[in-house]
Amino acid sequence: MSSRILVVDDDQALSEMLGIVLQSEGFLPSFCPDGSQAVDAFRSEAPDLVLLDLMLPGVDGIEICRRIRQFSGTPIIMLTARSDTSDVVAGLEVGADDYVVKPFDPKELVARIRTRLRPPTPESGERVQIGDLVLDVAAHEVRRGSQRINLTPLEFSLLLTLASRPNQVFTREMLLEKVWGYQYKSDTRLVNVHVQRLRAKIEADPDNPSIVTTVRGVGYRAGDGAGVGVA
Amino acid sequence: MRGSRVIAALQRAWQRFSRLFLNSLSLRTVALSVGLTGVAIILVGGYLSLSIGSDLFTTRKDQVLADSARATVAAQAALDSADVQDEQDLNPLILALRTAVNSASISRMASVQRLPGQPPALQAPPDFYDEALAGGVVSDNLVRLVAQGEDPQYWQSVTLTGADGQPHPGIIVGTRLEFPLAGSYGLFLGYDLSETEQTLGSVQRTLALGGASLVLLVALVAWIVVRFVVRPLTIAADTSKRIAAGEGDVRMPKQRDEVFDTLAGSFNEMADSLQNRIRELAELSLVQQRFVSDVSHELRTPLTTIRLAGDVLYRSREGFDPTSARTAELLHTQIGRFEELLTDLLEISRYDAGSVTLEREPTNLVRLAEEEVQSMRALAERSGSEIVVHAEGGYFAADVDPRRVRRILGNLLGNAIEHGEGKPIVVTVDSNELAVAISVRDYGMGMNESDTARVFDRFWRADPSRRRTIGGTGLGLAISLEDALAHEGALEVWSAPGRGSCFRLTLPRNAGEPYESSPLPLPPLDAGASEPQGVAG
Repeated sequence: MSSRILVVDDDQALSEMLGIVLQSEGFLPSFCPDGSQAVDAFRSEAPDLVLLDLMLPGVDGIEICRRIRQFSGTPIIMLTARSDTSDVVAGLEVGADDYVVKPFDPKELVARIRTRLRPPTPESGERVQIGDLVLDVAAHEVRRGSQRINLTPLEFSLLLTLASRPNQVFTREMLLEKVWGYQYKSDTRLVNVHVQRLRAKIEADPDNPSIVTTVRGVGYRAGDGAGVGVA
Repeated sequence: MRGSRVIAALQRAWQRFSRLFLNSLSLRTVALSVGLTGVAIILVGGYLSLSIGSDLFTTRKDQVLADSARATVAAQAALDSADVQDEQDLNPLILALRTAVNSASISRMASVQRLPGQPPALQAPPDFYDEALAGGVVSDNLVRLVAQGEDPQYWQSVTLTGADGQPHPGIIVGTRLEFPLAGSYGLFLGYDLSETEQTLGSVQRTLALGGASLVLLVALVAWIVVRFVVRPLTIAADTSKRIAAGEGDVRMPKQRDEVFDTLAGSFNEMADSLQNRIRELAELSLVQQRFVSDVSHELRTPLTTIRLAGDVLYRSREGFDPTSARTAELLHTQIGRFEELLTDLLEISRYDAGSVTLEREPTNLVRLAEEEVQSMRALAERSGSEIVVHAEGGYFAADVDPRRVRRILGNLLGNAIEHGEGKPIVVTVDSNELAVAISVRDYGMGMNESDTARVFDRFWRADPSRRRTIGGTGLGLAISLEDALAHEGALEVWSAPGRGSCFRLTLPRNAGEPYESSPLPLPPLDAGASEPQGVAG
């Protein structure tokens, strides 16, 4: 079944062109040119992935992203005109999974989309335990005891990558490659922001994390070196 | 040794003082006032002291002369009234004489001596001296003058030995007495002037004390006046200093002085117009930044569409006729070039607008260099260059913006591959206490000195006619330099024709901690070689 992609962009020509590219890659695109209707369009279309322009008339992309994240973990890729402004970080902080900078390479965009649509492939077992959390790989679920923790697919993939090799230190570049599918270009802010978001959801004390810990100057690892095991 | 040290210390103190003196209007004014007042007081005080001293002496001398005259009259009367029959009676006469002198005079220092120049008389009474006048205190000159006897009185200043054994200033007055049968005798009376001297001393002390107080008072007054006069200047200096330090709202207060208030008025006007200008420029810069950002967005969206469209055409070019296929190819490559150029232009305009902020994170530069080299390896192999990495140091987390460092390194490697003529390229990483450095050394054609000096200029190419294989916008090194400077680091180049080039990037290990020297040498140690030799460093 083809994946459905909602393109939220006010530039008609770009939307149409994106539609042509996406169709030629086998996706089913739908369009929404107006920020204020984007959330409604999301609800009615129920897309598998959203391409979201940051600068929109009506409601801007960051606000749309925040509203969608309140009820859905559907992958969101931002389309942005600038790479190093606060927009990117703001977008990531409200839950956008990834971003591409205009003018982007269509191959690059398609690669980003495919990575986000591909379910994470577990390296070990069906259930992974990390700290007091249990990851059910098949069900895409994380539980602490009987309590279910809602993670977006990206956050789940990030946690699973770290947890399936407990105590191995992952550099930000390794995580970019494994979770985001980047081969060379790297913006480590992606990793930093999403680790923060992940910690906010799974850590008992996000300021003093014990499940995803920072290895200063290198990267991150799951666990603090004790009480970690694979079930 | 100690002496020379003291002299040296004195010299230093003098130098410090003269420096202070030459640089302080207040100090000079006070010193000048004190100096001039001092001279005036010394002159006036000296004159006063001299004239008071001479008045005191004259008065005392007159008293003394009168006293001596009285004593002489009394003594002569005693002599005249004595009944002297023969020389036997002369001895008791001396006693009477002394009694008469003592009762008529306040002096207790007397001497009576027979004047010279008379025929000797056997029975003449002998000279006598009070102890204070013994031993030549009465000078021969005085004795001779009294003997000549042209005036009734002669006097002489002498030093007397007082009862306390101390020398006292004094006067001796000589007069003439006529002894019956025995001829002329001199009566010399000594008077102690130490009381007069004490009075004078006390007057002089008072004068000196008064003078010194006056000098101090003048110094104080001068200081206060100078402070008062200099205060507006100090305020002016202070105000301009604060404005220079960025406090744009500071203004000079009025001082109720016509001259100063004119200065304050024009200064404040200048500050106002300066502040307005700065505000305008700041606004302009904001407008400029917003413009750049808007242009960025506005240009990029259509460029994205063009790029997507070009790509679709490019991918389906095999179905086109040859002309259209070639057109699609050209469109594709030129869109890429246009995009690169736009990206670099926007980046450099961000630097020009001063709106660049670093996103520092702990970064291992050795690993970063290895990764960047890895990503450039394919390109290097295509032009036949091998890239070697020597990491002697830098295996720690430096506080840098990895994206920018990566970009710098990418630019340097791209250049080295472009100009390396297929010879190996050596990347060296090293560190010291405060800095970490990466150098990229190629052994290609190199550049002459004037080209080397322009290598960081925008859109500058060493050889415009040369065919470019890698592309690049001509802004790469200019942006790299800005990236390095934004880190408070440096990007430097050495190059020699036929020997290749070496670019050295030096960055401080921690933000805000300046380094002293780069861990890597420039020119490189193998500056003379045109091939890498063994393990280069």
